[in-house]
Amino acid sequence: MAEKPRIKVPKEAKKGEVIEIKTLLAHPMESGLRKDEAGALVPRKIINRFTCEFNGALAFACDLEPAIAANPYFQFTVKLEQSGTFRFTWIDDDGSAITADETITVT
Amino acid sequence: MRFASLAAIFALVALGAGAQASGAAAQSGGAAPLALDGDASARPWRRYHEWPQRDATKFNTLATLASPPAPTAPRKLAGPLAGDPAIGAKLAADRTRGGSCLACHVMGPAGGADLPGNLGPDLSEIGNANLSDETLFNFIYDARVYVPDTLMPPWGTHGIFNDEEIGHIVAFLKTLKAPAPFKSELDDPSRRPPPVEKRDNLDSMLNPAMWAVEDKAPALWTSPGPAGAACATCHREPAQAFKTWAATMPRWEPRLGKILGVEEFVTRHAKATTGHAWPMESEANTALAVYLRFLANRSAINVDTESAPAKAAYARGEALSRRKVGQLNFACVDCHGAHRGAGKWIRGQWLAQMRGTLDHFPTWRTSLQAIWDVRKRFQWCQVAIWANELPPDAKEYGDLELYLAAQSNGLKLNVPGIRH
Repeated sequence: MAEKPRIKVPKEAKKGEVIEIKTLLAHPMESGLRKDEAGALVPRKIINRFTCEFNGALAFACDLEPAIAANPYFQFTVKLEQSGTFRFTWIDDDGSAITADETITVT
Repeated sequence: MRFASLAAIFALVALGAGAQASGAAAQSGGAAPLALDGDASARPWRRYHEWPQRDATKFNTLATLASPPAPTAPRKLAGPLAGDPAIGAKLAADRTRGGSCLACHVMGPAGGADLPGNLGPDLSEIGNANLSDETLFNFIYDARVYVPDTLMPPWGTHGIFNDEEIGHIVAFLKTLKAPAPFKSELDDPSRRPPPVEKRDNLDSMLNPAMWAVEDKAPALWTSPGPAGAACATCHREPAQAFKTWAATMPRWEPRLGKILGVEEFVTRHAKATTGHAWPMESEANTALAVYLRFLANRSAINVDTESAPAKAAYARGEALSRRKVGQLNFACVDCHGAHRGAGKWIRGQWLAQMRGTLDHFPTWRTSLQAIWDVRKRFQWCQVAIWANELPPDAKEYGDLELYLAAQSNGLKLNVPGIRH
């Protein structure tokens, strides 16, 4: 993993507030449909699933398909009632996972 | 969930620098140490393998003159040409031959091609002009016999089309007798809106070149080289120390006898101090060039063109910008000069004027998923006009960079840019 994920989460929020989260991961998202110079198919290698958990409970998830461009970017909103930790997970076709945590204080 | 980019947040970048005073070596006011030996990029220079490998050694480069001379008189034809207009229509739209006639001329629906350019005149009704076969033939073979400062490539003299093919194109031209129909405003180069770049180029969520500023360059800055020192050993507070430096580059370097840009400076200065091998156009070199120019953002470009050696380099750069190079025989000013190609279209590509081109380099190329510094951009310009490029540290590129930077004097740096 050459690049660390870029994540934007507010440090603080009010109870019941809807906050915006942005994430971006550097990844080639190789579709499996391209050919190399020799004419052979370049094997598919994409992030096929992204999840965001908050204090262990799933807050957001989605499956990704080969048509999604390189460096997948997500923006979504979450309503918060308590302080805690987000865990972001990107699952690669090769079985590896990239994770990152961000904490937020809710008052 | 939305994949679309949106109103960007300006990310204030935390620069990995302490608050201590800068090192004595960087404060001494003397000339910065530079390794003066060797080249700052690979020799022999090898073209990027994913670029077209067409060899153009028979034609001018920015360093050498090799193109065949222009003919002094039109060629005489033995009689009327017997070309096939259908073959001519295909040749006129053949992208493997220098981008096709449609790259520069509106010619009606030839070859089913859309998005014609307008660098040259509209030829939709050239068939009504009653021009002789010989005149049309010579305009294509080498238009310089009629218009010495023409932009048009000498298709015959430079061996891109042979006589028979030019005959087919002449036959096709004679069939053009009605104004070109345009399917839409976009299809008409006179109404096609110029591209406007609105993305926030300093938002790392939008511009991956910002990762060089936020992650790669700060890591390189503190990594010791073989000599034991890191950039940070002498430059502890880069955000303060480099607020304006990059806006004064490139500049004349008497020890090298050439114009030195940020990228070559990084190579030679690192070699002389930390011992890092950071050749031009390497990932590390480009990341540091982005970083150093980013630190001077909002400073007005202010390159020296007044001192005697700088004035001479500027004059050489201006002359190079007018030199016809490559098999397609274009000069920089043909496409990017005021009253020449600037603001016009080559097919769907809009031609920028020279002022304002250097303020955002190095820039992210969304179509290539890569950062290009200005020397790589020069190299690609040349390969695109079927000329052999020079190594990035060529002195000719230094002169040209100075000339181009001076056209942007007074504009504020805004690096890294983001472009298609």
